[in-house]
Amino acid sequence: MTIVARIDEHACSAHGDCADLAPDVFRVDEVAVVIGSAPPELLLEVAQGCPAVAISVVDDENGVVLYP
Amino acid sequence: MTREVLIVGGGLGAQRAAETLRRRGHDGPIRMLCAEPVAPYDRPPLSKQVLREGGEHERVALRPAAWYAEHDVDLLLGLPAVGLDLGRRRVLTVGGDAPAADAVLIATGAQARRLPVLSPFANVHTLRSLADAQALRGAIAPGRRLAVVGAGFIGQEVAATARGLGAEVTLIEAMAQPLEHVVGARLGAWFARLHRAHGVEVLLGDAVASAHGNGSVQRLRLAGGREVDVDAVVVGVGVQPAAGWLRGTPLGDGPIAVDARGRTAVPGVFAAGDVAAAPGRDGRRERCEHWESAARGAVAAAHGILGLDPPPAAVPAFWSDLYDSRVQLVGRAADAEAVTVEGDQESPAFVASFTRSGRPVAALLVNRAAELPHRRRLLAGDSDPPSTEGGLAA
Repeated sequence: MTIVARIDEHACSAHGDCADLAPDVFRVDEVAVVIGSAPPELLLEVAQGCPAVAISVVDDENGVVLYP
Repeated sequence: MTREVLIVGGGLGAQRAAETLRRRGHDGPIRMLCAEPVAPYDRPPLSKQVLREGGEHERVALRPAAWYAEHDVDLLLGLPAVGLDLGRRRVLTVGGDAPAADAVLIATGAQARRLPVLSPFANVHTLRSLADAQALRGAIAPGRRLAVVGAGFIGQEVAATARGLGAEVTLIEAMAQPLEHVVGARLGAWFARLHRAHGVEVLLGDAVASAHGNGSVQRLRLAGGREVDVDAVVVGVGVQPAAGWLRGTPLGDGPIAVDARGRTAVPGVFAAGDVAAAPGRDGRRERCEHWESAARGAVAAAHGILGLDPPPAAVPAFWSDLYDSRVQLVGRAADAEAVTVEGDQESPAFVASFTRSGRPVAALLVNRAAELPHRRRLLAGDSDPPSTEGGLAA
């Protein structure tokens, strides 16, 4: 199982919460970009904390959306 | 089985609902009935960047125009809903009935409250839509006198932006301090000092008693006897749910009570955003006007429409930009019994922690944005586990 985070760059407002919570996974320039991986629990927590609902958590093998 | 979805409204909630439906695999028709003549756009910039620099719709649009065709979302623009026929689950518009739907999501948002004493005058503005912002922008210029009635966040942002553009700004607030009902008098006073430090005249504990002028307001007379000469007035005294078109239906004229999946008391009818009162983490239902809440409520309602479990309710949070300060509030400060300021409240950056029975319930962050996610985490861990149901009988 490969659970990954994806940024919806049109929804992202560059608040930066993701990079503050998981600096090894997210970096925020103009918008957030994914730069690493982390356990699914952390990815879900960060995604659920995104004020813009711009992070989705997806199973990369079958495309199933876990959040939102 | 839900096939056809009609979203009534064209703001952030409508947009996020459509996105979530598609992302979650819904392949039936999605139609979005927008009262305004343009596709959904972002409202927070209206009181800041758009007032300051101007801006056409493309600049604030939530998605590029091509997104709607790419995702097969049918935009019905410039068509305000005027009624709902629950028997046929049909939304009525000025141009006739909207297409029938298996699920209707009400996301009509809110509208600015007006003050009757100021309503007859041409140079009185409210700020809710892009058209409002463009009209107000024309009224702000160096040396022009602008009165802002109401020191909520919209009023304060307009005051700060207008002052930054060189206008002579008077901010009038009925309470003893700005936002006193939200953050208390001590922190409310910080906002008043911030504006005064930037040259805004702040008049507290006073209200507009009468307005004078011929067609346009030239002078406001306040209840306390003070007179304020003006070139234009902005009224920022809150909003009310845009649900007047539902009057006479079992949903009432708002706010519309929903459960954690955005379901109203009427099967097949959902609501989200400023028009809805949704349960928070503790199950208490309230209408929350935060940008973030509209986005999350819409995501939840999209899950409800598809019969999926929604994500857990989040700790509420919002932000405001005033002059060079970013102000963020996370949690429910109104629940607090005590507040502690960490750091120096007179310094450019501080955090105020709100507690109840020794437990944190909220935090106000001034120029400490990096702490927000940690505060949110702290507040989430310290409240009861989120309920996923929150039935309407609760």
